[in-house]
Amino acid sequence: MRTALARAGVSTGAPALSSSPVGLILRLLALAVIDVFALLLAVSIGGDGNLFLALAIAATALIVTVITLVPGLWPLRWMSPALALIVLMALYPMFYTLYVAFTNFSDGHRQSKVEVAELLAQRTYLPEGGTSYAWTPFGNETGDRYGLWLVDAQGNTFFALPDQPLQSVTPGVSGSGPYDEAGIPAQMDGLIVLQGGERFRALNTLQTMQFGDPASPVGIKSRNEAGAFVSKWVFDAAANTLTDMETMIVYQADDSQGQFVAPDSTFAPVGYWVPIGLNNFARITGFFSGLSNLGPQFLNFLWRFVVAVAAGWGVYRFFGNTDIMEIWLVRRVVVPLLLLAVFAEPMLSLFDTLLPVPLFKVFGWTVAFALLSVLTAFSLGLFMALILNRDFPGVKVIRSLLIIPYAIPGMIGILIWRGMFNSNVGVIPATLRDIFGSSPAFFNDPGWAKFMILLVNLWFAYPYFMLLCSGALQSISASIYEAAEVDGANAWHKFWSLTLPLLLVAVGPLLIASFTFNFNNFLMIEGLIEGGPPIAGTVAPPVGHTDNLMTYTYRFAFSAGGTRDFGYASAIAVMIFLIVGTLTLLQFRLTRRWEEVGENV
Amino acid sequence: MSNIGTVLGRFLTSRAARGIVITLALIFALFPVIWITSASFNPTGSMSNQTLIPSNVKNLDDLLTNYRRLFDDPQVPFWRWMFNSLFIAAISTVLTLLITSLSAYAFSRFRFRGRRSLLLSIFLVQVFPNLLALVALYLMLIQIGKYVPLLGLNSYGGLIMIYMGGGMAVNIWLMKGFFDTIPRDIDESAQVDGATHWQSFWYLIFPLVRPILVVVGLFAFVGTFNEFLLARVMLNERETWTLMVGMFSFVSGGEFSNDWGVFAAGSLVAAVPIVLLYLSLQRYIVSGLTIGAVKG
Repeated sequence: MRTALARAGVSTGAPALSSSPVGLILRLLALAVIDVFALLLAVSIGGDGNLFLALAIAATALIVTVITLVPGLWPLRWMSPALALIVLMALYPMFYTLYVAFTNFSDGHRQSKVEVAELLAQRTYLPEGGTSYAWTPFGNETGDRYGLWLVDAQGNTFFALPDQPLQSVTPGVSGSGPYDEAGIPAQMDGLIVLQGGERFRALNTLQTMQFGDPASPVGIKSRNEAGAFVSKWVFDAAANTLTDMETMIVYQADDSQGQFVAPDSTFAPVGYWVPIGLNNFARITGFFSGLSNLGPQFLNFLWRFVVAVAAGWGVYRFFGNTDIMEIWLVRRVVVPLLLLAVFAEPMLSLFDTLLPVPLFKVFGWTVAFALLSVLTAFSLGLFMALILNRDFPGVKVIRSLLIIPYAIPGMIGILIWRGMFNSNVGVIPATLRDIFGSSPAFFNDPGWAKFMILLVNLWFAYPYFMLLCSGALQSISASIYEAAEVDGANAWHKFWSLTLPLLLVAVGPLLIASFTFNFNNFLMIEGLIEGGPPIAGTVAPPVGHTDNLMTYTYRFAFSAGGTRDFGYASAIAVMIFLIVGTLTLLQFRLTRRWEEVGENV
Repeated sequence: MSNIGTVLGRFLTSRAARGIVITLALIFALFPVIWITSASFNPTGSMSNQTLIPSNVKNLDDLLTNYRRLFDDPQVPFWRWMFNSLFIAAISTVLTLLITSLSAYAFSRFRFRGRRSLLLSIFLVQVFPNLLALVALYLMLIQIGKYVPLLGLNSYGGLIMIYMGGGMAVNIWLMKGFFDTIPRDIDESAQVDGATHWQSFWYLIFPLVRPILVVVGLFAFVGTFNEFLLARVMLNERETWTLMVGMFSFVSGGEFSNDWGVFAAGSLVAAVPIVLLYLSLQRYIVSGLTIGAVKG
């Protein structure tokens, strides 16, 4: 009765709007502050040419404003901070990544053409035939202020300070004496004339300085000569050309690749940022063009694949109900292994052909690592959960101790292992050398490096599955087992037919989540081995045998060496997203479906 | 059915087998922990001279050699890194809890037009992990930092915003699921008695959802504390580094085997609080994993 009344009350009652005038005023004031701040920020950033970010900020402010001001939207007020954060920190970066993936944004291509032209216009050089001066330096005692006494070809004299127009001066009159034979004063504007060794010492500093009006500065060309700087680069927007005034080479702007190109096909030192369509993706999928060259080999692969599928189908079709399949070993081990062998052979032959391409190698290892790490961690976790799934003295303590690796911060645990595996003095190679006389090169041999990664990953990951499986095992009701025992099932049979299927219902979606996580596992690869050992022939940036897609992307976007190529990195990120996104959606679907299965049990 | 199965099963359930397996598992799990603890107390401090029981210890003070080097070396502002990590993790956790619980409450309790589609949209946002938007986030912080240095590169604010934005969608979903399990009668009857939505949220519901707050808070805090990639990209100055970025610098410095003792001391100081936190909140973690399992 009371509940019904309450429901009625809630559904018809008006929402509690701004309870007091003070509250309302405070809310409006806060809104005004946020809006003004956001607007100023958006306008400034838009002025820098980054329209997308400006729009994102403005849109966020608009959403918050509308939600606050429109009374009908009151439920959204509760989530306006969350919505603002999602729009700005999750949605915008997502779309911006997509956008950058279609551009050539990278070091040397970081600004628009107009910005680059403006930047280049500030670069100057000293032309051979320009105005020329004889110069005498002035400086203060601490050596942080300098001036120049200049005499041009006509005998006019000037005094020049940085960032101030040249001042005309008269020899023997300006400044304070004593004057030398040319009329140069000993002191001028608080600076003392520099001679002999002082002049020589100041030369290095003076050569980097510009004197006089910043628009037409004067600088030192040689020990005796100073000259007027002129702009080195002139951009002609109408002709779309950039001219190097020093060499008189005309660079034609090529808007398809964001470069200024000289007639001899060389590039100007700086390019600019342009959309380049699918070029980044073409680079990624470059290895597919390798496929078309395979021709005969691909056909070979195809027919062997068909044969393998037919053989597998045949085996189960014709032997599925025979006595031989009743033997556990045959059903569970021999037949699957046989089928795997038939399938694996054509697969491997195809891999052999494709593997030399670094990106394909990286992709293969990414999938293999994710798959193997889930498989090993789940198996060991489940095994330990089964072992510990009974009461005996100390089981709680043991379980807590086994969880410790999972609780240790990832980077720290990884670095501990990195130290223990250290090739020269680490405890593991040292012990192996003591026992066997030699130790595998864990950091230099690709195979052992991968083994090491999987082992360390197992150390971290299996307690997670142990926790999960322990919880799930306890939720399986004992009566099911009792029923099975009545039917004469042994422990092994109970595990395969009851425990494992029921467990998979509970943790199945988390297996996919774990796969997704390891697909993106940056920490393990970078922390333990930084992608090494390098694949021969890859430079700028070098790609390693153990690089996964995430560290590969990172190397292109943020590597200290080579050029940082944000466009290409974003294109790979988009590709990873397509894979990971599909997996996550699959996981969501399974979550719902497997919940239903769980209810039916 | 099969004999092998029976024999294997019987052996695996026997007491002796269990003892062996548990011993091996304990060695695998704990050896690195014991080894690093021993290294941290080893006064020589280098990897090559390490023994399981530290040698060369003349007096007890020698045991702390590495810890003194860690805390005194001006090149290793360890406490500064620790503060950065704790500060960033704490602020983003508190704000995340506050903001997501408000949204989760609204999604769980209010019925309004577009609720389902909004919920679904947020659900889809989490499909894109913000690690992949690394480049976009980096460029964004550069841009914003030009005008608001507090939210730019090398700032706490910028990184906190990124962490919060990345976890928002997942946590709203997790929390909403938990809010749904709390009977609506509780707040509805309060509203009949004249309570506002805010009052029933703050005084009635908020205390009831403490378990999920602990779970989400713990995962957010530890996740942020441990995060490496985003912190490494967004923080370029030694003073602004988080602990994880700082600890990695022991390796990239190239003197890892000589700095081993100092690294070990730092590792212990950094890891022990987190491990204790985990072990003391174990029961919440298991429940959190299960909720995660049910609610995706």
